[in-house]
Amino acid sequence: MTVEIRKVLIANRGEIALRVIRACRELGLKTVAVYSTADAHSLHVRFADEAVCIGPGQAAQSYLNIKHIIAAAELTGADAVHPGYGFLAERAEFAEIVQKCGMTFIGPDPIHMQVMGDKVRARVTMAAAGVPVLPGTGVLSGAVEALAAAERIGLPVILKASAGGGGRGMKIIRDMRALPSTLETAQLEAFKAFGCGDMYLERYVQSPRHVEVQIVADKHGDAVHLLERECSVQRRHQKVIEEAPCSVLSDELRADMCATAVKAAKAIGYHSLGTFEFLLDGDHFYFMEMNTRVQVEHCVTEMITGIDLVQEQIRLATGEPLAHLNREHKPRGHAIECRINAEDPVTFAPRPGTISAVHFPGGFGVRVDSHVYTGYTVSPHYDSMVGKLIVHAPDRPRAIQRMRRALGECVIEGIPTNLPLHRWLLKQPAFVSGKYDTHFLEANLDPEAIRAEVDAEQA
Amino acid sequence: MSSEPRDNNTLPDLRYIRELAKVFRQYDLDEIEIENGEQRVLLRRSDFPAASASAASGAGRPVVEYQVPAAPAPAPAPSPIVAGGAAAPAPASAGTSDAFITSPFVGTFYRSSSPESPSFVEVGTTVQRGQTLCIVEAMKLFNELEAEFPCVIEAVLLDNAQPVEYGSKLFRVRKL
Repeated sequence: MTVEIRKVLIANRGEIALRVIRACRELGLKTVAVYSTADAHSLHVRFADEAVCIGPGQAAQSYLNIKHIIAAAELTGADAVHPGYGFLAERAEFAEIVQKCGMTFIGPDPIHMQVMGDKVRARVTMAAAGVPVLPGTGVLSGAVEALAAAERIGLPVILKASAGGGGRGMKIIRDMRALPSTLETAQLEAFKAFGCGDMYLERYVQSPRHVEVQIVADKHGDAVHLLERECSVQRRHQKVIEEAPCSVLSDELRADMCATAVKAAKAIGYHSLGTFEFLLDGDHFYFMEMNTRVQVEHCVTEMITGIDLVQEQIRLATGEPLAHLNREHKPRGHAIECRINAEDPVTFAPRPGTISAVHFPGGFGVRVDSHVYTGYTVSPHYDSMVGKLIVHAPDRPRAIQRMRRALGECVIEGIPTNLPLHRWLLKQPAFVSGKYDTHFLEANLDPEAIRAEVDAEQA
Repeated sequence: MSSEPRDNNTLPDLRYIRELAKVFRQYDLDEIEIENGEQRVLLRRSDFPAASASAASGAGRPVVEYQVPAAPAPAPAPSPIVAGGAAAPAPASAGTSDAFITSPFVGTFYRSSSPESPSFVEVGTTVQRGQTLCIVEAMKLFNELEAEFPCVIEAVLLDNAQPVEYGSKLFRVRKL
């Protein structure tokens, strides 16, 4: 049994709102954009069939305002809601309300978000499903338990907030004496940030790679993987460059990792798009967390599989089976994505402002997903990403050449961006050889060389 | 050659205006008023009153938007740049500027509590602070919109049962 979707409300902004609108248009679906007063001149407002202003610039009163978003859906007669990523995308409560109002939520069930949003519960659930997890604990009762656990696991260990995720709310412990006081501050910080001070502890992997597996699943219990993505180029736990496939996985390890992700998805009866994030430590991989939504970096998977993930996500939300997706997927070539942010290329400090001129690269194998244009103002209210530059080529060396070429064509004036950082990164021997871990960027950051790229740009 | 005519007191300092424009953008302001001499600074942002409190009462606080009275100067609407120091100070007599009452909700605009009831307000009605002006209904929730200040309704800008979004202009009023 399938439900029909005719009009989709996109509860998001920026490039992902545009991405969903494009998918809907190709599927012949009507679209409704919602926007804050700060985004009145945003492209997603112009490209959608209808647009409703839902509040002021502050996200808490607009893009996180469930009441106004639902009212906009009611006013416009939308029968489905796509949450994008960020904002309400992983709020079980939002998905529940959308469903109670008789609309289709384009994503998994609220219960999946609840299980995976609680990192301790996710760990337990995954371990029970036979997914490797790092040696660790449940919610810590206090310093005594934490010390005993650290003794058993061995230093270094990492303290994580149960309500955290996405790299937030973590503390590395290298000295037993520091553990009790660090636990106390971490609990306080987690309580402030997430409204829940629960912490757990895991073995800390010194030099991991971040490799994640994309899965798609239908509402009938079928799930397949769409290969992996390598996301180890990070700063402050935020991804900067993503690639697919991962250049260091052996065929056996890839098969093992992908099969594990499919098994995990089936174990919880998951449906829709999902990502299992793993820490890769040599030949061993461990479950880190699951993201129950479309990811920023979904594009690299699209390039190497030829599958429009957002269109499939909408199709699966209607209750259709996996059908043509239900097969073994092989990587076709290599894809790289650079996240372009309005920020200082060395300090990573966000730099909102008005773009006085923009020229995006083009040509064979180049894709740009962006919502900005000449005269667009990057608002201080939201994240600083101005777009994603994606290239696709037959192999990794040629993808790197193509990305260098595309970065050379890319011009954004009026605000500082991290384009110089990307130009510098694409030249680093460690990146070119593929031998890097999650500390690579921060450990090798060379401010002078990056500033030189800025100067070369302006020359 | 790059120095600006600082000695000419009839022209505002361009750098000063640029700085002001930056502040304007940075804080999403709708209005900056600066008076020299005894110093009077007023920074106004329309979404601020909506942010403060009122959640408990259930009634929304309308967002107030001011319109500069039609002046012989070029229309100020599209450009948020503040008038320079050379402009004659506008007499700030209360009650002359039009104000709009805008919707803090998304939903359907109703002028009365039920089809049989009379409208809460009509053109010419003098409204006290806290008096109900209209209802914005969303998902069967009837949000009453109350006046934040005493005023006279000069125009009702929407028909009954029209959809409204955040910031939609509902009434043009004259403040008392």
